[in-house]
Amino acid sequence: MIETLAWIVLGLPLAGALLLSLWPGEPARPLTRIVGLGTIVLGFIGSAVMFAELLSRGASNRHVVSTLWEWANVDGLRINLSILVDPLSMMMMLIITGVGSLIVLYSTEYMNHDRDYRRFFAEMNFFIFAMLLLVLAANFFFLVVGWALVGLASYLLIGYYYEKPSAVAAAKKAFVINVIGDVGLVLGALLIAKTFGTLDYGQVFAAAPARLGHGSFTAEMICLLLFVGCAAKSAQIPLHTWLPDAMEGPTPVSALIHAETMVTAGVYLIVRCNVLFQLAPYASDTVAVVGAATLLVGASIATVQEDIKRVLAWSTVSQIGYMVMAAGLGLYSEAMFHLLMHAFFKALLFLAAGVVIHALAGEQGLNRMGGLHRHLKFASISMLIGCLAISGIPPFSGFFSKDDILSHAMAAGPVGVVVGTAGVIGAGLTGFYMFRMFFRAFTGPEPDGGYEHRPHMSGWAMAVPVGILGVLATVGGFIQVPGGWSWVNTWLSPSLPAAPDIAPSATLQWITTLVSLAVALSGIAVAYWLFAAGPARRLAYADTLRGLRGVLLDQWRFDDIYESAIIEPGRELGDAAVRTAEPRFTQGLVTAATGVTMVTARGLHRMQTGLVRTYAFAVVAGAAVVGLIVVLAR
Amino acid sequence: MGERIFFAIAAFGAIASAVTVITVRNPFRAAVALIVALLSIAVVFLLQRAPFVAMIQVIVYAGAIVVLFLFVIAYLGDHPPTLGPDPLARYQVLAWLAIIGLGIEGFLALANSHLPGIDANPYEVSDIGSPTAIGNAFISTFSVAFEATSLVLLVAAIGAVLLARRAVLGERGR
Amino acid sequence: MTPTLISHHTTTGVPLSWYLALSGVLFLLGLLGVLTRRNPLLLLLAVELMLNSANIALVGFSRYWNVSDGQIFALVVMVVAAAEVVIGLGLIVAVYRQRLALDVDALSRLKG
Repeated sequence: MIETLAWIVLGLPLAGALLLSLWPGEPARPLTRIVGLGTIVLGFIGSAVMFAELLSRGASNRHVVSTLWEWANVDGLRINLSILVDPLSMMMMLIITGVGSLIVLYSTEYMNHDRDYRRFFAEMNFFIFAMLLLVLAANFFFLVVGWALVGLASYLLIGYYYEKPSAVAAAKKAFVINVIGDVGLVLGALLIAKTFGTLDYGQVFAAAPARLGHGSFTAEMICLLLFVGCAAKSAQIPLHTWLPDAMEGPTPVSALIHAETMVTAGVYLIVRCNVLFQLAPYASDTVAVVGAATLLVGASIATVQEDIKRVLAWSTVSQIGYMVMAAGLGLYSEAMFHLLMHAFFKALLFLAAGVVIHALAGEQGLNRMGGLHRHLKFASISMLIGCLAISGIPPFSGFFSKDDILSHAMAAGPVGVVVGTAGVIGAGLTGFYMFRMFFRAFTGPEPDGGYEHRPHMSGWAMAVPVGILGVLATVGGFIQVPGGWSWVNTWLSPSLPAAPDIAPSATLQWITTLVSLAVALSGIAVAYWLFAAGPARRLAYADTLRGLRGVLLDQWRFDDIYESAIIEPGRELGDAAVRTAEPRFTQGLVTAATGVTMVTARGLHRMQTGLVRTYAFAVVAGAAVVGLIVVLAR
Repeated sequence: MGERIFFAIAAFGAIASAVTVITVRNPFRAAVALIVALLSIAVVFLLQRAPFVAMIQVIVYAGAIVVLFLFVIAYLGDHPPTLGPDPLARYQVLAWLAIIGLGIEGFLALANSHLPGIDANPYEVSDIGSPTAIGNAFISTFSVAFEATSLVLLVAAIGAVLLARRAVLGERGR
Repeated sequence: MTPTLISHHTTTGVPLSWYLALSGVLFLLGLLGVLTRRNPLLLLLAVELMLNSANIALVGFSRYWNVSDGQIFALVVMVVAAAEVVIGLGLIVAVYRQRLALDVDALSRLKG
């Protein structure tokens, strides 16, 4: 039953996408809503049923592989169209369909003014299908297929407002950087195929310890290549520059794709390949360090953003850095726990921001906001919950997951201590920039001139998802309480055979918890002092710290480096090619071909004299030649 | 023996008049030369035991076709048409070469032919050339060819009428 | 098909090869005329010569194989020649009426 359900859940969004895109003419709005939302809601129901079914089985009986048929058999390499339902993929499925349904419900109202309604839902359905394929794949082949399709869906949705040049540019940028990651991923998969002779998860992971050997060069290469793919998809340094630009897409897109599903695909991959990463210590350390660096860079840049969505985008970069860092240290289930919590509160934050933007008729700049608490109480409270959650303030969800990561990191060897410290610093920054955003938008005076129209609250379709997420963000953390119970770890352990046993002592846990909490609270306090207590103070300090602010506003100059080191030379090369190579080679070939044809034609044209006698002569000459051949042949 | 003498005379006549046909300027003289050639060839037909064909040659070919030619020559007037210089004069050599080449090839083909008895004196033949024989053959074995040729004649007649009509219209149009 | 015997002694006749040689010579002469003449009327006369040379060969072979087939073919050739002459002369007359030059080199509008 699970197998059938799994295929249905996978196939429904695809069917929805096809139905919506191939519908002749523009379907009626209610129909689009039913199809677009229905497929995902049904998917969630199906996933919930599967989850219940898996729960009823014993812990050792939760690994289900279902194969439809053999997809390819090339030179001994067999690839099957098969999906894997195990605790890890089940968890991802629930997140994708569950939070996905809430966001799609939200967008039925948010996108209501848009004329391309149907295209939006078709593309969202397609994305959900691709993401499900990615997490359900039972071999590296279909992982790559899902990976690539997700990239395509992201491109389509970022460039949804295709008449805006900035949106188109952002979509292109995202796609190009994703392709760089794809190259790494595919090379890694190829290396796996070459080493193991198969791409199937089960076979690869079972054979890995024997075939690869701990710390072998092949193992390190495989993991590094896979990580290149993760870095691109999950927006880690240095392949992170596309994510803030991706905010050009509609807010629900930012919530779904660029906050808690697609960008977590990289984390999922590392967790899925825990067996491989445990055999590659250097690669794992690299992953952890990159995650930590990204965490800090993202948080620092978020402190100076003026656009509400960009604050959230950089905070996503930072939070995924936490997850990647944890995965690099071998803290796989802790990373997944944070992924789940982050899904709740980041979606909450984005959707609440969407309520604000909707209420202000599209305004996204922080300096055109202020004192919104008076007008949008619901959104304000939701935002507050989100900010508290992300800053790691108990009893909100982020506290439990972030703490889990930090305390375990401190117990994970020297590398763990270093990156853990970075994580603590990051917690402080997180508190600071999130509450900077909150105070500036919701408290304090209204912007000069007041608001044009009175900000009005949205309808139920937008409010209900925000409400549900608010509740989840508040109580969701209680599924794993340190010192109490750890449902997430227990649930995921069958999927994580290689997870190292890192258990911080109770003392270490308490110390880390208290220190990170203190740091976060001080960050919030600074934000309060600068932005809420005396709103003019920020301008004075902005002036003093102009240099630092400059660097941060330039986003640590990553884009500039890319521009000068890669893009400009590329453009120069293209221009040079056009100037020199093209006239000679491509144009030359074409001209040569046409020239030859013309010359031949002109030559043959001389045969068409119009004179009877020449034609007769041609016949005679031909006959003479043929006769000669016949005579000589005898 | 007598056959060979007659053949020699007829052959000579045919070739001589053929040369005249292709050489002289005056169309009238060329047509008359053609008549001589045709008559010589009729003699050849007789030598080949084809009396009916020879008769048809004289009646139809020399008697009707060449007369048609003479009609047209008369209509066009007797003056040799004034033609400008020959644009293909340089290429005449090529024509000669081709023809000589063909001639050599033909000679070689004939010389190396393995057809038995091609050089020997011929045997006597049965009745294959009399009108009776030809008529029987046309009606029985070659009836399709018979009908087809009548169709060809029909088409030619229609074509001629059309050509004449168009010419008339063209003139009136001016 | 070997020649069927009527009588067992051969007459002193003309061998087939002589007829074929005559046919070939006349054909080449006609061809020469076609390639050389500019007046369409004279060109048609040369064509008639070529057709007749073919007839000689046909009738010769008819005798060689002792069948009427060749003679039948020759008669058909004559009919076709007649038809062709009719059309050809009609064209020449038409050209003349249009006051165009009776020169095959000048009548060359059908060219590439």
